[in-house]
Amino acid sequence: MEKYEKLEKVGEGTYGKVYKAREKASGSLVALKKTRLEMDEEGVPPTALREVSLLQLLSQSIYIVRLLSVEHVDKVPKSQKSSSNPLTKPILYLVFEYLDTDLKKFIDSHRKGPNPRPLPPPLIQSFLFQLCKGVAHCHSHGVLHRDLKPQNLLLDQHKGILKIADLGLGRAFTVPLKSYTHEIVTLWYRAPEVLLGSTHYSTGVDIWSVGCIFAEMVRRQALFPGDSEFQQLIHIFKMLGTPTEENWPGVTSLRDWHVYPRWEPQSLAKNVPSLGPDGVDLLSKMLKYNPSERISAKAALDHPYFDSLDKSQF
Amino acid sequence: MEFDLENPLENLHSDDVSYLFLIESDHTPSQNHSQTLKARDLDISVRRELISLISQLSCALDPVLSYLAINYLDRFLTNQGILQPKPWALRLVAVSCISLTVKMMGTEYPATDIQALLNQSDGGIIFETQTIQRMEALILGALQWRMRSITPFSFVAFFIALMGLKESPMGQVLKNRASEIIFKSQREIRLWGFKPSIIAASALLCASHELFPFQYPFFLKAISDSSYVNKEIVEQCYKVIQDIAIEEEYSSALNGVSRSDTPINVLDHHFLSSESEKTNGITVANATDSPLGDLKRRKITGCGGNNPTILNSWIQPCERECEK
Repeated sequence: MEKYEKLEKVGEGTYGKVYKAREKASGSLVALKKTRLEMDEEGVPPTALREVSLLQLLSQSIYIVRLLSVEHVDKVPKSQKSSSNPLTKPILYLVFEYLDTDLKKFIDSHRKGPNPRPLPPPLIQSFLFQLCKGVAHCHSHGVLHRDLKPQNLLLDQHKGILKIADLGLGRAFTVPLKSYTHEIVTLWYRAPEVLLGSTHYSTGVDIWSVGCIFAEMVRRQALFPGDSEFQQLIHIFKMLGTPTEENWPGVTSLRDWHVYPRWEPQSLAKNVPSLGPDGVDLLSKMLKYNPSERISAKAALDHPYFDSLDKSQF
Repeated sequence: MEFDLENPLENLHSDDVSYLFLIESDHTPSQNHSQTLKARDLDISVRRELISLISQLSCALDPVLSYLAINYLDRFLTNQGILQPKPWALRLVAVSCISLTVKMMGTEYPATDIQALLNQSDGGIIFETQTIQRMEALILGALQWRMRSITPFSFVAFFIALMGLKESPMGQVLKNRASEIIFKSQREIRLWGFKPSIIAASALLCASHELFPFQYPFFLKAISDSSYVNKEIVEQCYKVIQDIAIEEEYSSALNGVSRSDTPINVLDHHFLSSESEKTNGITVANATDSPLGDLKRRKITGCGGNNPTILNSWIQPCERECEK
């Protein structure tokens, strides 16, 4: 870790602290993600080994935040520094390329603050296209993200680049206990099949998240802002209508299904009033109840909504 | 998600194979170090001994493990060099590579059994678990945690499809023979400069030339036409693999061993004998009376009950060296 100079703490991610730092040799900025390896009698846990290796492979894509280096540090706890044989706590620093902001901050800056204004439609198009590219890249290699949300989408504002972060980290590392006390793991982008307790979910869970993010870029506020799993479902059902065996075969057999009030679907277009018909169509295909009917990320790239986008730049 | 040699990313689609071609060089021992290593005969013989050791230990578990473990070993050696030519330190590297491989491949055996097996099988040298763990961390750092190795096996299915043999009996026969060639040629450092995809293409061409000589020209054209492959480099690699195969036949004939014997036995016998003469005061287990002989007839779970507690004098120098 002597190679890096910590500049400031820039975040407290789900899986540990994040620091902005400078690589001393090159002067370039990096993001240090500090994680704790739970070493047991096996040494390096197999899950961490497999997931970090996966991240190494996938992050060569330009749509994924690049993992530059992995630094393993054995930290001596302060209480044991005087001990002749201290028990070290292994810490892993994942060194990523640094991007200056994330989509949540970007949307917030357009919603409040001195100059509230909509996100320009071509920019929404561009960000969504890059997001679908990144998700298609993961899915084509059999990898789900499972935690797509605006905070996990990093931006280079000047270049108009969007990249996916925190890929696979949920399975590799222990979630620090304080996450449950100080920070609610967000439910807003979680697919209904996950909320209803399905354990055999697939790529559709990420597509649902993409749809929610798409709507949020247009509205500048969350589409389904629930604060509990039950409330999250209520938000979804009130807008899209309560799912039935007709539009989602098997839904009533899911583990956490209950009897819900039968709401009629609202007009999706009314909830994203500034979005044109092609955009509404794409969004509706991303928010299908039946996961097998949801559009794939790859198919989304060919949707008419992107026809006016100059794709050669990606 | 467990690691699979053929699908390092678990679910390769043919239209996304370009990504593997893009990043495969990160998972290959580098050409420069290959040249450096060739200049040092001691290093070559040490590598061969370690490969034999890995193959011995891996055979008790899953032979496929040996390929990945040797990949880790080679990448580690080309990255770090052989810093200290002490047999116990190098064996520690080999044992740690196996341990990492077992974790990556998600073997069903409990880790404690693996540890006991590794320790018991290593000719009397006992490594503490903590020592192996520290070496694991060192290896991970040197390899930058790139443990989902992209190997020639990652490309075989792609080239078979290119040859028009997808899901056909002929394709399966070629795949099996090419895989055998890939396994055997891993021992040869002359291939270090070639990318895994080139080795895969060359191995398939060798297999097709051997098994289906009349169709060979068509297969050669199909592979050469691929934009992912440089034809001249494939030709070079093809020649090296052919030379290796010829030398292997010669070596087998020289030792009067029938073709059905695995090259592992031949190499074990030859190099272990040489090593036992060179290394002073260290007993190197011979393949014929290896403890593995007993282990193969015993359940793996039985290893747990034989956890050695004897401290060997090697532990101390090992500890000191690792602390540096």
